[in-house]
Amino acid sequence: MASQTPAVVMDNGTGYSKLGFAGNDSPSFVFPTAIATKAGAGSAGSSGGRPPVANKPSFLGAGGGSSNLAAKRGTEDLDFFIGDEALAAGSGPGYGVNYPIRHGQIENWDHMERFWSNSIFKYLRVEPEDHYFLLTEPPLNPPENRENTAEIMFESFNCAGLYIAVQAVLALAASWTSSKVTDRSLTGTVIDSGDGVTHVIPVAEGYVIGSSIKSIPIAGRDITYFVQSLLRDRGEPDSSLKTAEKVKEEYCYVSPDIVKEFARYDREPDRFLKHTVTAPNGRSINIDIGYERFLAPEIFFNPEIYSSDFLTPLPNVVDGVIQSSPIDVRRGLYKNIVLSGGSTLYKDFGRRLQRDIRHLVDARIRASEARSGGARSGGLDVAVVTHKRQRHGPWFGGSLLGQTPEFRSYCHTKAEYDEIGPSIVRRFALLGGPGSS
Amino acid sequence: MLLLDYQNALIQSLLTERFSGATPVSIDQVVSDFDGVTFHLSTPESKTKILISINVKCYKELVQYGAQEVLEREYGPYIVSPEPGYDFSVQIDLENLPAEEEARNDLIMKLALLKRNAMAAPFERAFDEFNKLAEEASRYTSESAPQGIKEGGEVMAIHYREEEAIYIKANWDRVTVIFSTVFREETDRIFGKVFLQEFVDARRRVLTLQNAPQVLFRNDPPLELAGVPGLSATEGEVSYVTFVLFPRHLTPQRRYENISHIQTFRDYFHYHIKASKAYIHTRMRKRTADFLQVLNRARPENEERERKTASGRTFRVQA
Repeated sequence: MASQTPAVVMDNGTGYSKLGFAGNDSPSFVFPTAIATKAGAGSAGSSGGRPPVANKPSFLGAGGGSSNLAAKRGTEDLDFFIGDEALAAGSGPGYGVNYPIRHGQIENWDHMERFWSNSIFKYLRVEPEDHYFLLTEPPLNPPENRENTAEIMFESFNCAGLYIAVQAVLALAASWTSSKVTDRSLTGTVIDSGDGVTHVIPVAEGYVIGSSIKSIPIAGRDITYFVQSLLRDRGEPDSSLKTAEKVKEEYCYVSPDIVKEFARYDREPDRFLKHTVTAPNGRSINIDIGYERFLAPEIFFNPEIYSSDFLTPLPNVVDGVIQSSPIDVRRGLYKNIVLSGGSTLYKDFGRRLQRDIRHLVDARIRASEARSGGARSGGLDVAVVTHKRQRHGPWFGGSLLGQTPEFRSYCHTKAEYDEIGPSIVRRFALLGGPGSS
Repeated sequence: MLLLDYQNALIQSLLTERFSGATPVSIDQVVSDFDGVTFHLSTPESKTKILISINVKCYKELVQYGAQEVLEREYGPYIVSPEPGYDFSVQIDLENLPAEEEARNDLIMKLALLKRNAMAAPFERAFDEFNKLAEEASRYTSESAPQGIKEGGEVMAIHYREEEAIYIKANWDRVTVIFSTVFREETDRIFGKVFLQEFVDARRRVLTLQNAPQVLFRNDPPLELAGVPGLSATEGEVSYVTFVLFPRHLTPQRRYENISHIQTFRDYFHYHIKASKAYIHTRMRKRTADFLQVLNRARPENEERERKTASGRTFRVQA
C-alpha cells in the first residue's frame, strides 16, 4: 500500500509551517508554527514543573462512578491547539501560546512532537505508517537535532520512511521550474528572506558551504515597520501594523534608481495611490500611498535609510559570500542566485539585485585587468533566478523531489532505523544530485 | 483533541475559501486521507468548476454493499462520471451555488464527508437489515424462530486496508461490527493491548458508560466470523475488536453519529497510541532533565585537574 501513497512534505519554519503532499504545486496547509497549551500543562515542556501525572482511572482504585471522566483520566496532554486555532485559543483565557521553533531550529521537542501529531492526524489526515515523510531543516542544523527528529518520527509515529533535506537545497530545486534554468544543478546561492531574518546561503553540488553563510537582520518585518513609520510621519489616519503590511504586500516594488523614481513621481501624479482600509467598526478610511511604494524594499539595497547598525547592502553581502566560498565553485554561485521566501516577491527585486551584483563583479574584473597590465578577462556571468514558486520555495522543492520515483530509495526506512539507530539520519544520500534523473 | 474529525480538513478549508467568493484560481491537488483514501481536487474545464474525485481501496466491496445508492442520495445532482483512476467524482460549479449561507456550509460539509459517506454504505445496509430482522423476529418466540432469522444476515467484509478489515453482521437483536487489527511494531502492540483492555474495562466499571456498545477484544477470530474466507489462523498477529451495537444505538436519530464514530475507530485507536507515546516521551525528557540536574549538582566544585610541568609532562601518581 505504501507504494502508492504520496509522500508527505512538511516544512516547519520559525513563523509558518507548510504542510502538504508531494506532487502538488502548493502546500495544503500553511499556518503559524504555534501551539497553545493549557497554562498549567504548557509550562511542562521546557521549564517549570514535571508534567502532570496521568491519574489512574478512579474506577480502577476504589471504584465509584465519576461524572467527569476526562478530568480523571489525565487527558490534559491532548488539550492543545496548533496553527491558527492556537492563536485564537491563546487570545482567550486558559491557554498560553508557545512557538516550538526558534531561529529555524526546534527548541521545544515536547511541543514539536505534539505539533506534528496534530498536523498529521488532524490536518493532513494520514496514517504515518503508510507514508514517507520529507522534512526540512535549516542550514547548520546540529546533527543531534536531526536525530531527535528521527526519534520522534520513527518511534512515535512509525512513519514508513524519512528524508530530511536542507531548506536552501530545496529552494534551489524549486528554481528548476523557471524557464531560465536549463541545467538542473544543485550549485547556487540561495537568498532566503522570510519574516524575521534574511540568509544568504551558498550551496555547492547540494552541500551547504556553512562557513560562508551570512545573515542580514533585515527582512519582511522590518519592511513592514518601515512602511508603518513612513505612514506615521505623514500622519495618515490609519497606520496600524496590519495596514502597513497590506500596503507592503500590495503596492511595493523595487525601483532601478530612487533619485529618478522620486522625480518620476513628481512628474506623474497618478503614481500616488489611495488605499482603503475597512476598520472593524465598518467605517472605511482612505490613506494615501506615495514614495513608500519603492522606498520600502529599498532598505535591502540601501539599509542606511532604515537601520543605523547594519549598513551593508544586500548585493554586497551576496558578493562577499560568494567571494568567501572556494574559488572553484564561485562561477556556479554567481550564475545561479535563487530567491526564496515571501520578502523576495517584490516586482523587479531580482532584476535590481542582478544589476547591482553585476556592477560589483565588473568593477572588480576591470580593476584586476588594470593591475595585471593587459590581460583580458573572459567575463563572469551573473544571473538572479526568479520563479513562480518563490513564496514557498523550500516546500515546493520538497514536493518536486518527493514525487520522483527514486525518492523512496533515498529515504531511511523504519527497518533501517530499527537496525542502526538514530545516528542513521546523520547522513542522507543527496536527493536530486548527480546520478538521479 | 480527543476525537478525530470525520471530515477532510483540506476539502473543507479549500471549499470554504472558494465559496466565499474569492477570485477563482485553478486547483490541482492530490490529497490523502486515512486508510489509503486519495482525493483529487482539480479544475479541469474552467476555474469555476471544481472536480472532486475519490479513490477508495475497497470501493468494489462498498459498491456491492450499496455505496452507489448512498452516494447518489447524498450528492445526487453533483455526480459526474468518475475521473480515470478514481472511483467516484463530484463536480461543483462555483457560479451555481446555493444562495443561502447555511445551505452553502451544508454543502461544504457534505463534500468534506465524502469518505465517510462512501464508507457508510455497509453500515446503513446492516442497520436496515437489522430493522427488517427485528420486525420479523418479533413475530416469533426465540424457540420457534426459523433458521434465517436466528442466524442473522451474512457477514459483510470490507477490506479497507491491506491487512485489516471491518466485518459487519446484522442480527435480529444487534449489529456486530468487528475490526481486525495488525501491529507491525512490538511497542504498538503493547500499547494497543492496554488501550483496548481499558476500552473493555471502562464500560464494565463506569456507570455512565453502561449505555455504550459492548466492546470485546480477543486474539483469535470471534465466532461470528466462522466461515469467513481470508482470515489468518495464526495466533497473535491479528487482534479482533468487536463492537456490539444494541437496538438503542440503532435508532434513526443515533444512526448517523454512530456510523461516523465507528468508522474512525481504527484511526482514533492509532492516534491515541501515538499520543500516548508522545506523552510518555514528554515525561522521559523531563526525567532526563531532572537526572542531569542531579548529576550536575554532584560534580565536585574544584575538581582535581591533571597537573603539568612547563614542558607538558605529567607526574604519574604511584599506586
